[in-house]
Amino acid sequence: MVTENRSYNAQKVIERLAKKVNRQMAGSLAACVHCGMCTQSCHYVLANPDDPTFAPAYKADRIRRLFKRHLDWTGRIIPWWVKAGSVYTDEELAELMDTVFGKCTNCRRCTLNCPMGVDLAVVNRMARGLLVSVGVMPEGVAVVSKDQWEIGNQMGVLKEDYLETLDWMSEELQQELKDPAVGIPIDKFDCEVVYSINPREVKYDPRSIADAAKIFHFAEENWTMPSEGWDMTNFGLFSGDDDLGGAVARRLYEKVEDLRGKKLVISECGHGYRSTRCEGPNWAKYDVPFEMESSVITMLRYIKEGRIKVDPSKNDISVTYHDSCNNARSCGMTEEPRELLSYVVKDFREMHPNRAENYCCTGGGGAMSMSEYTPRRLKSAVVKADQLRATGAGVVVTSCHNCVDGLTDLIRHYKLGMQVTQLVNLVANALVIEERVAIPVEIVPEVTAAGSLAGRKILVVDDEPDILTFFASVLADNGAEVIEAREGQEALLKARSEKPDLVTLDISMPGQDGGKVFEALRRDPDLALTPVCIITGRPELRRLIYDRPVPPPDGYLDKPVNEETLLLNVKKILKVV
Amino acid sequence: MSVVKTINGCMVRLEKGDITQADADAIVLYAREDLKLGSGYGNAISIRGGPVIKQELEAKGTVSVGEAVVTTAGNLKAKYVIHAVGPKFQEADLDSKLKRTILSALQRAQEKTANRVAFPLMGAGFYGVSLDQCASVMIAALEAGLTEKNQPREVIIYALDSREYAPFQHELEKLK
Repeated sequence: MVTENRSYNAQKVIERLAKKVNRQMAGSLAACVHCGMCTQSCHYVLANPDDPTFAPAYKADRIRRLFKRHLDWTGRIIPWWVKAGSVYTDEELAELMDTVFGKCTNCRRCTLNCPMGVDLAVVNRMARGLLVSVGVMPEGVAVVSKDQWEIGNQMGVLKEDYLETLDWMSEELQQELKDPAVGIPIDKFDCEVVYSINPREVKYDPRSIADAAKIFHFAEENWTMPSEGWDMTNFGLFSGDDDLGGAVARRLYEKVEDLRGKKLVISECGHGYRSTRCEGPNWAKYDVPFEMESSVITMLRYIKEGRIKVDPSKNDISVTYHDSCNNARSCGMTEEPRELLSYVVKDFREMHPNRAENYCCTGGGGAMSMSEYTPRRLKSAVVKADQLRATGAGVVVTSCHNCVDGLTDLIRHYKLGMQVTQLVNLVANALVIEERVAIPVEIVPEVTAAGSLAGRKILVVDDEPDILTFFASVLADNGAEVIEAREGQEALLKARSEKPDLVTLDISMPGQDGGKVFEALRRDPDLALTPVCIITGRPELRRLIYDRPVPPPDGYLDKPVNEETLLLNVKKILKVV
Repeated sequence: MSVVKTINGCMVRLEKGDITQADADAIVLYAREDLKLGSGYGNAISIRGGPVIKQELEAKGTVSVGEAVVTTAGNLKAKYVIHAVGPKFQEADLDSKLKRTILSALQRAQEKTANRVAFPLMGAGFYGVSLDQCASVMIAALEAGLTEKNQPREVIIYALDSREYAPFQHELEKLK
């Protein structure tokens, strides 16, 4: 449908523009003098010096022209001078989508270096929201947004799976500490701390939940985790959908109030912290009656108050720290993580630039869910890779789950050989446990003990040689008999001849894709019950698996996958204790 | 927590909870035209209900906006899933299309003689229908659709949280 020579969606975008532009945005849209100071701030520009379309000022101009044309008097009087313009077609909306979703992570580094105070991220997010309101968005954004709207968390973790994971981690802790009293209290009323997490922790990194529980236990904290409203992440920050932002934040706040919790502690996640603590009350129009705190500050407080003791020699590693954009640039949390690190590691090496000047992990702003932009993201990550390499550290610590994924991916891509971890892992590992529980804490998690997968035959299917070798090595090092396949037909032949106990399956492969292989496995009477774990770097393709008329896979992992996550999930599927 | 009203002899109940776990004869899914279950409720139905739902959908092809089709519900508590394809993202003629979608869903429920039918907030949330608009259209559609003899005995409207609940409570309380 066309309205005044404009497509229906383009017309709706223009109509909504006036409602979305507030004073802060108008300031940013009006103030740019095109001085170019922002250019050298942006990792996309630094990695693509010959492509002006990555320049923050250029990107802002894609949105600014609409503002000038439809909302600013200069655009009506002298449009040619102020470069006012509009959008008329769905193709132009798609081009705008490519810019605002695919060429900016909303990291706000350019904002910091703008003498006029132009906040590109605010404007960019607004444009994302306009496009989302007419259904123009990358597939991954749609998948994640719908999950968070309807399931209550952005990874679609069902309530029973969440509770089962908490139960599983409680059991692991009880075994590790040989103390049946240790556990994760759920929906306990009147606690000092209600602990909220990122759904990534449930799906891919449950050890971080167990580590937090261990710290709360030794701090003798009166704490709980909610059975619902537990997701402190908020995809509304990335998609620009303020309604989603408000709905998600409100669910969390109301749950804490229902439980009569005194303080909401937010696990290590940059955008989650910013959304929940800083933006959420405005989106939700909610007068939050309790305190909110990052778990980084909670852990630091426990150490300073003497509630937990830590020994930095237990983390015998060289460490650097990556500041998450949302934590450092948008929320000012730069010193607390460094102070905490000073208690739990001896060999700390500062990254340069750092704090608010740090470069984006390149996975922010929802970039990890938009796999169509992966090549562009990894190319721009050369800036971060150079930064990491220069530290000479073996481990990069970050207080953000998004950064964990972004960094892990670029470290593998640029073959940096570094590990990524979070403060909660280092603090838990450094805990000095008094005589009452004299169990030594090993730096290598129990699950990686050699031989734990002995007697298990695992077929690893992936077309990327590096990933195939990595998965095969990890599984073989832990005792599994590993069979490798590089494409679909080979995978089916080997599955039929070898009868593995588990198949790890990539989706995107040349020839027969993982979706077809998966269905063929499920439809083969001899293999129908063989557990399958999907491991993909293209989450938007999960419909190729879940839309098939066969039972769903037994596990699902998004790449990048680290050693611990792979082993934890493989062991969970194979029920290896 | 629930609000109960009667429309033309049918009990209409507002509940807070997850519709995919509803104890009803039929649950309604706000579906895509290609009938792919997708993420959100579709993913929950897929995982909890099992593969039979997708198998049945494969045979149905695509469905136009305003129409609805029925599958069995696999391992869900419900017996049927009504896949109702509604308007999305500020689509033109949204109110009338939304109303037609709800009436189609009711029609499918009546054909299956489903006594208890659970509806989500049709089009609200991800697809951008405002809660106030959704509430007024849904209640109006129920008033228009619940007139035949073989109508369901009970319609349950599922809201996920208090934010979604309040506008529907307000709209229902306007009924006599």
